[in-house]
Amino acid sequence: MERSVANEVVKHVKEKKPWTVGRVLTNEYFLYVVSFFTFLIVWHYIAAAGLLGLATPEATLKEMVRLMSVRLAGKNLFGHAWASSRRIIIGFAIGAAAGLPLGLLMGLNKYINSIVKPVFDLFKPMPPIAWISISILWFGIGEPSKIFIIVIGSFVPCVLNAYSGIRIIDPELYDVIRVLGGNRRQEIFYVSFPAALPALFAGVQISMSVAWTCVLAAELVSSRSGLGWIIIRGMKLTKPELVLGGMAAIAVVAWLFSVAASGLEKVLCPWKRGIKEL
Amino acid sequence: MNPKIECRNISKVFIQKGKQRVHVLEDISLEVMHNEFLVILGPGQSGKTTLLRIIAGLETPTSGQVLVDGKEVTGPGQDRGLVFQSYMLFFWRTVMGNVEIGLKLRGVDKKKRREIAQHYINLVGLQGFEKHYPHQLSGGMKQRVGIARAYANNPEIMLLDEPFGQLDAQTRMFMEKETERIWQTEKKTVIFVTNNIDEAIYLGDRIVTLKDKLPGRMDAIYDVPLPRPREHTDLEFVKLRQEITDRSELVL
Amino acid sequence: MAYEEVKVKEPIRFKLLSIMSLLAFFGIWEFIVDAGIVPRTMLAAPSQVVVLFIKKLTQANPDGATLGAHAWMSAKEAVTAYVLAIIVGVPLGLFMGWFKVVRGIFRPIFEMIRPIPPIAWIPLCIFWFGIGIWGKVYIIWIAGIVPFTINSWVGVNMTDPALIQMARTYGATDWQIFTKLCVPSALPMIFGALQISLAYCWTNLVGAELLAADKGLGFLIEMGRRLAMPEMVVLGMVCVGIGGALIGVVVDKLEKRLLAGIRR
Ligand SMILES: Nc1ncnc2c1ncn2[C@@H]1O[C@H](COP(=O)(O)OP(=O)(O)O)[C@@H](O)[C@H]1O
Ligand SMILES: [Mg+2]
Repeated sequence: MERSVANEVVKHVKEKKPWTVGRVLTNEYFLYVVSFFTFLIVWHYIAAAGLLGLATPEATLKEMVRLMSVRLAGKNLFGHAWASSRRIIIGFAIGAAAGLPLGLLMGLNKYINSIVKPVFDLFKPMPPIAWISISILWFGIGEPSKIFIIVIGSFVPCVLNAYSGIRIIDPELYDVIRVLGGNRRQEIFYVSFPAALPALFAGVQISMSVAWTCVLAAELVSSRSGLGWIIIRGMKLTKPELVLGGMAAIAVVAWLFSVAASGLEKVLCPWKRGIKEL
Repeated sequence: MNPKIECRNISKVFIQKGKQRVHVLEDISLEVMHNEFLVILGPGQSGKTTLLRIIAGLETPTSGQVLVDGKEVTGPGQDRGLVFQSYMLFFWRTVMGNVEIGLKLRGVDKKKRREIAQHYINLVGLQGFEKHYPHQLSGGMKQRVGIARAYANNPEIMLLDEPFGQLDAQTRMFMEKETERIWQTEKKTVIFVTNNIDEAIYLGDRIVTLKDKLPGRMDAIYDVPLPRPREHTDLEFVKLRQEITDRSELVL
Repeated sequence: MAYEEVKVKEPIRFKLLSIMSLLAFFGIWEFIVDAGIVPRTMLAAPSQVVVLFIKKLTQANPDGATLGAHAWMSAKEAVTAYVLAIIVGVPLGLFMGWFKVVRGIFRPIFEMIRPIPPIAWIPLCIFWFGIGIWGKVYIIWIAGIVPFTINSWVGVNMTDPALIQMARTYGATDWQIFTKLCVPSALPMIFGALQISLAYCWTNLVGAELLAADKGLGFLIEMGRRLAMPEMVVLGMVCVGIGGALIGVVVDKLEKRLLAGIRR
């Protein structure tokens, strides 16, 4: 490995150690595999013994495969996953489209900030899930009420992060534009927006996970489709494999969403690519 | 000949945290000639950065005025370029993106912009690093980008604020040579701020020393009549160094 | 003298704008309900909420418990789960950060469980614990543990490698380096998780109570909907908001105190 630090080149040479039994046993990746299979085996025996009301991992997987072709309430597993995803995408798009500009404006303009901030602070500590009931009162139990929750859930982190993204910018960065002969508008376009972008993405990522919690809660309360509905369905039919299959599907789809979000961040914030992150 | 820059009795008082009055500069008056390399030498907290920012037009003096070409400075302008103490590169832009930003602000078209920026990237010796991002560069390279960025805007006056303060001694010496070389290719009026005596004598046509802190005051002005390139071991060099040290009790 | 105290007039117009904005907010809210622009079945006016608030301080009906009892239930669940999340999450994260073997064993399980929103455990929880306190504690615990584990882990990884190297050359054992170097240097990150985790706990608490409870603020909100009493829904939401803000302030103070403690 080679690394250049202040005109000096630093070379790292990794020592080659022989593979002993002890080293294999304590190798991280080896342990990952062992841990994974142990988890499955323990789960299997607990379920097979009829404890905790679980289904075995095989039964869960089989149920998931079955759901891919068999329709439940008119939709197969992908259909339900899409139903949940669609709610998130629409709700999130509205929430971000309203929240990010508002947060940016609050960060950039003192007047707007002192008008909006106090009202916003009233709503900030209220978890979006608390809006479910009133949303049903307002919109009934159809799609709009679920999307509304997600709008609320993604709106708040978007505003907060956009606002703090602007606020944490080093004011000297604006001076760079000023000494180069730029005006206020150029300060905003060439410094405020790009410098706040990473914070915006942090907001987007938080919104995503909040959105998943919201959509599930909404679907658990009342719905006829979606992954949350599958779980509730499994509970009502006392089919644990359906519950667990639903949970696994949620995990996969939610994970895909976060991968997509960080992928988008890599595309839009290319300067972050080289920075090592955990 | 009229001086290029003239500072008349500049004083500056800051108000910190909305209630503390901090007197940073007291009665600074100096003149800088066309194409002169003036060094301002002073200890930390003596208001060097503040003075430079006032000349750049980023701060307004509490009293006194700055004249450039006989006209009073009222704000930042394209005729003065500033190189920041802590680099202040745009971390979201590549080296090329950073260097061309001034031209972009003025709406120079892309081809011309690239051409000029490339010229200055080459001048500071960063060819091949155009597509790198600031976090991929070492300290010395970052400051070269800062210098190229200021030069690319083609100011008549360059203001450099302890540009090599954060570098190790070796890189620092190297960068001083580079600065001299660049200054000799692209003649400009330069004000260079430092807290390092050797750096001051190596680079300056004239040295203005500041003393005290809060507020910082003018101490003395030295002419450096040595031929370039200068040698740190040169007898005249050492003598001048001794003279400044004796007077200001500045510890290296 | 370098520093000299002066009085500068704070721009009062921003404060004024803020106060006016809040007054306008409540004024408009009251007006649109009173004037019947929004039907009373959908939204309650602030005044109605206040009236119900006073009533619910002493009356248990129609939802079965007084406001105090609901709030106490929620607080009990939240605090229990939060403390359990600290007790389990912090050591887990610290060990995962430093000991490869621990990381090897727990990371796959952690990564498998992490993407599942805690709310999704509700059916299993109802099955395991019924709708009593422990099912909800479990869900909130799952929610709260993730930030503590991740931050402790990251905190350990952020220990200055030069310091570790130095300790090694002085012959410190792995365990000594862990306790004397890594744990202290991870503390700021761990304190940073206090707030994040709390907000996450509170969100999931409401979710859990909405779905599986017979007491608690989330339950109050849901009962308001079932009984078609928007004032009860709003009251519940307000209480949840105030509760969240209150605990937030306490934890913020605690975090500052703790951080000041390690700086010294
Ligand atoms: N914008 C500002 N507001 C308040 N105080 C300032 C500001 N800029 C600088 N100061 C104060 O001015 C003093 C001198 O700063 P500076 O000009 O940076 O000195 P130097 O560059 O010589 O170290 C410092 O004590 C600093 O606190
Ligand atoms: Mg300075």
